[in-house]
Order: sequence, then structure tokens, then C-alpha cells
Amino acid sequence: MVQFIVRRLLSSIPVLLGILAVTFGLAHAIPGDPCRAVLGERATDEICEAFFIRNGLNEPLPVQFGIYLRNFVQGDLGDSLRFHRPVSELLVERLPTTVELGFFALTFAIMVGIPLGVISAYRHKSMIDVGTMIGANIGVSMPVFWLGLMLAYLFGVLLKGTPLALPPSGRLTPGANPEPFFMLWGMVSEPENAASILVFFSRIHTLNAILTLNGELFVDTMRHLILPALAVGTIPLAIIARMTRASLLEVLGQDYVRTARSKGLSEFVVVVKHALRNALLPVVTVIGLNFGLIISGAVLTETIFGLTGVGRTLVDSITSRDYTLVQGFTVIVAVGFVVINMAVDILYGYLDPRIRLG
Amino acid sequence: MTKDSKTTHSDEHLPVQIRHSSNLWIEAAKNITHNPSAIIGMVILGILLIIAIAAPIVATHDPILSMIGQPGETGRLPQKPPCIPLFGCEEAQHIMGLDLNGRDVFSRVIFGTRTSLFVGMVTVSLAVVGGTSLGVIAGYAGGYVDNIIMRIMDVVLAFPALLLAISIVTILGPGLLNALLGITITFIPQYARLSRASVLSIKEQEFIVAERALGAGSLRIILNHILPNAITPLIVQATLGIGTAILDAAALSFLGLGAQPPTPEWGQMLSEARNYVFTSPHMVFYPGIAIMITVLGFNLLGDGMRDALDPRLNRR
Repeated sequence: MVQFIVRRLLSSIPVLLGILAVTFGLAHAIPGDPCRAVLGERATDEICEAFFIRNGLNEPLPVQFGIYLRNFVQGDLGDSLRFHRPVSELLVERLPTTVELGFFALTFAIMVGIPLGVISAYRHKSMIDVGTMIGANIGVSMPVFWLGLMLAYLFGVLLKGTPLALPPSGRLTPGANPEPFFMLWGMVSEPENAASILVFFSRIHTLNAILTLNGELFVDTMRHLILPALAVGTIPLAIIARMTRASLLEVLGQDYVRTARSKGLSEFVVVVKHALRNALLPVVTVIGLNFGLIISGAVLTETIFGLTGVGRTLVDSITSRDYTLVQGFTVIVAVGFVVINMAVDILYGYLDPRIRLG
Repeated sequence: MTKDSKTTHSDEHLPVQIRHSSNLWIEAAKNITHNPSAIIGMVILGILLIIAIAAPIVATHDPILSMIGQPGETGRLPQKPPCIPLFGCEEAQHIMGLDLNGRDVFSRVIFGTRTSLFVGMVTVSLAVVGGTSLGVIAGYAGGYVDNIIMRIMDVVLAFPALLLAISIVTILGPGLLNALLGITITFIPQYARLSRASVLSIKEQEFIVAERALGAGSLRIILNHILPNAITPLIVQATLGIGTAILDAAALSFLGLGAQPPTPEWGQMLSEARNYVFTSPHMVFYPGIAIMITVLGFNLLGDGMRDALDPRLNRR
């Protein structure tokens, strides 16, 4: 197993280097002069020259790439040209929104998708099965941003005044300013002194609410999260349900399932303990592949629901040519994607000995 | 001549029935036409294709002409919900209402069919040609050529597709053709992987070795033997890919990076209307439904084709 993990880790190094090179190249190929994009009217030739020197933009490209690699390894992603703050600081501030959204979207997709798939496979060709599969087909065909807009209209306007109404934008009710858990616990005297990792976790509002035992904050966060998470989670849900169904159908026809039944085991034990365990293997891979969908979904839904997460910041900074920020955020997202896929591969190897030994 | 007569002769005496390759295609077509999801998909796509070709006839108005001040218009404000005759409305008819600029939403949706089908099919065709060429070269050549090509594909796959497409379009500049190119690049790796895998599984088989022994060149082997054997999974993947391409193109247009106004394009219509979803939801509703139906058509056809063409499934 250790050998398998090491082999998998080593094989992702060239891909990581490739990602760094591509992001570096892409960011530098963005048309337009970053100096004039940032300084606007004030930019004169002298000011721009000083700007280039200050930001290391006058060096030859290979040197810039070398500096970029060194800084990246040290966790320095440069300063945002637009916000005049370190990109890593902005990341700590905005990544939690996306992580929280992605987490709940995926949880929703798994919690609903797998049971739906199991029921469909178990009641193969019944009304439930046909209905689920029609629903799943429609689910994968919907544009995420359209679904988001429609959900916002349904819950924000049509159901307004009913108990089902949900806020269609923002992360928290305006004015709410939750106290970070590290302040409440007395870990840090001034919020400015808190370590980035603490700030990061405190900005995942649901986690912060649990850590500070703040029920009101938790409910408020969840109410704001439901709609974007539904929008982002629907396509993965449909894919997971289809995969679970297909995979379980195959397993249910196998001899060992018949053996388990003939031993007199209850249907629940046969399906959940014997069949589902093996059927979930391909589902794990599909869940891993869904991270890309979730990130794309986040880019689109954050704009709709007014969430200042990684996706929305990226889109905004592309239009304003803030290329250090584009570079930093893209690289983190891509690296995160590679790491997650690696984790899924390792998990898969753990679940299925044929893979790690093969 | 002697060779031919010999074959015929041995055919007559063979105990097993020989299947000719043309029969396989007929059988595949038969399987597809017996698959309900493929049929529904084909019907949806057939209707959409007719709509796209006959758009000027189907559409009731000019898709980029503002209705404000046009003869016969009752001065009804744009962005009001559509007025439905069935419910006793007697005003000038706009089945899906008007948009912000007073244009007829129905006609825009109809003309949008052209754009979306065009984008979907062109993107996937380019990606299939590009990806298959790379995959076949990688698989056939092997060694370092294979390694370099496939590692580049790995890097492209390492980026979430939409994110990479956004970055590429940012560099090339917003516009439908650039969006198309951006999506094509993100699509190439999957076809490269698929065709490479097929090549690897076929390359060492005896009939290829025999062909090579007969003196056939690489190109001839690839075109006449390897590609025809690798084509089924590619067709299925391509059909499913068109749906994704349409969704991605709509997303890029939604972000302002794809089709530019006043082109009638569904994602772009959603982008224009998104800030008015609370007051005029009809402007958002119809283009989204149009996207969904189109993508659904390709997905159903792709799923049906996969079931019909997969020999492993047929034997059960």
C-alpha cells in the first residue's frame, strides 16, 4: 500500500509542474498591460516602469518563472495588482466560501444520489426507477446558472412570506458579524494577529458556528447555503445516482449475491452490506471526477448568489487583468483538483486490492 | 481469380456462419432504432434541426429587431411577462414575451437553436479530429512520443474544464469563435485518451501484424484498420460531448465571454436577463429550457447509442 501511495505521489509531480507552467503562461498571455489595467488614468510611462520593476515584470520570462516557482514553494503567491494585498491573504479570505459551498453541494449529491441509485437498481424497471432516471437525465442537462436563477426566483420571490422562503443572495443576513471561534476561545488577543489557518477555518461559517455553539449563526448560514448548494449539487447528484444504479444492477446479478440470499440473509443486509459495498467502487471514482463540475458550478453560482468566493473573484479578476490573482487562484484550484484526484485514486486502491497490486 | 473462387468454395463448407462487416453496421442501426432513449433523443434532435434550418419561417419576428414603436404593437412595456391568448389576452402576441430591449423572446430562442447546434457540433468535431489524431499518434508510436503527448493531455485534464476555457477565451478575447476554440482545447484530452486506448488494444493483434508483414505502411494501417475498430466508443463519447459543449458555450456566454450581443444565443440571453429574474422571470425561463431540451436530446441519443453499440451489453 505504501509503495502504491509513493508511486502515485511521484507520478503527479510532472503534472503539478505542468500546471504551474501553464498557469504562468496563461497569466502572461492575457492581453493588455497590467500596469494600465491597475493604475488606469494615472499610468504614465515612468510610473509604469517603476511598477514593472517593483513587481518583477521587467525580468525575462524564464527568470520570472523561476522566481514564481521559488515563491510558490514558499507559499508566496504574489500581491494582487488590484487589491494591493497578498494573493494568499485573499485566498484565505475567499476560499472558505467556495469550500463550504462545494462541501454541502457534494454532501447533498452523495446523500441523495446514492440512495436514489440504490432504490432504482433494487426496484429495476419500476415507476421509481423510471422516474429517477428521467429526473437524472434532466438533471445532467440543466445549465447550473439557469437552475440557480430559477431556484432564487422560486424561493426568493414565489415562496416569499411562506415558511419555505429562502434568502436568494449573500452568505449571512446583512449586518451579521459572527465572532470567530479563536477569539471566543481566547486563543488570540487581536483578530489581526490570528494565524491564516485559524482565519481560514473561522470563515467556514458552519464550522465556526459549531465550534462557538452558535445555533443562530448555523441556521442563518445554512439558510443562505441551501439554494447555491442545490444548484451546484444537482448535476453531480444525477451522475452519482446513475452510476450507483448501473453499478449495483451489475453486482445484484452476480452469484455471491444469490448465495447471500440463499443463506437466508435479510434483503437489507444482502443489498447494503454485500452488494452495495462492491458496487460503490466505480461511484467513488465518479465522485472524485465531480470536483471539476463542482468548481465550474461554483464559478457560475457564486456570481448569481452574490457570494464572494474563489470562482467569482477569478471571473472578476480576469476582466480587470489582475493576473497575479488569476495565476494564484487558478493554480490553487488546479493543484487542489490534482490532490483530490490523487486522494480518490489512493482510496480506490485501498478499496480494491486489484488496483494497487496490478 | 483463383483466390476468390477458393474463398467462395470454403465459405460453402464452413460449419459456422460468417458475419460480414456490413451486417454489423445494420445490426447496430437496428439496435439503435430499438432503443427507447435513442429514439426520444433522435426525435428531439430532429425537431431541433428542423427548427434551426427553418428558423426564419418558424420565428414570428426578427430576433434582433426591437418591437418598441413597431406598427401593431400596443406599447406594452418590454420585460413584462408574456401575454397568453388562452388566458384571455388580446394584445399583440409575443408567445414568450419581450426582452429588455423589446425584442421578441420566442424568435430569439428559435434563432438561438442555430447557434447552439453549430457550437456543439463544430466544437466536438474539431475536438474529435484533434484528439483522435493525437491519441492515435501517441498509441501507435509509443515510447517518448506517447509520453510527451499524454503528459500534456494530463496537464490539460488537471484543470477544471470551464476554468481552462475561461482562461483561454480571456487570452483570445471574448467572442463565439474563441469560446468555441477554448472549449475544443478542453475537450481534446478525452478523445486522445479514448483513441489511444483503442489503438493500444488493437495494435498488437495478429491481423495488424499480418498487414505489416504484407508491407502496409503506418498510415494505411491506421486509416484502414485501427480507426474503424476504434470508432464506436468515439461516436458515443462525441454524442455525449456535444451536450456538454453546448452547456459550456452557454456558460461562457453567460459570463460575457462567448457570443456577443445582439447575437441570439441562449447563454447570452440569460446573461442579459439575470439581473431581472425577480421582476421578469420569463426572460430567464425560456432560454434555459431551450438549453436543457437540446442537451437532453444529445444525452439521450448518446446513452442509447452506448447501450446499442456496446457488444458486451448485447450478449447478455
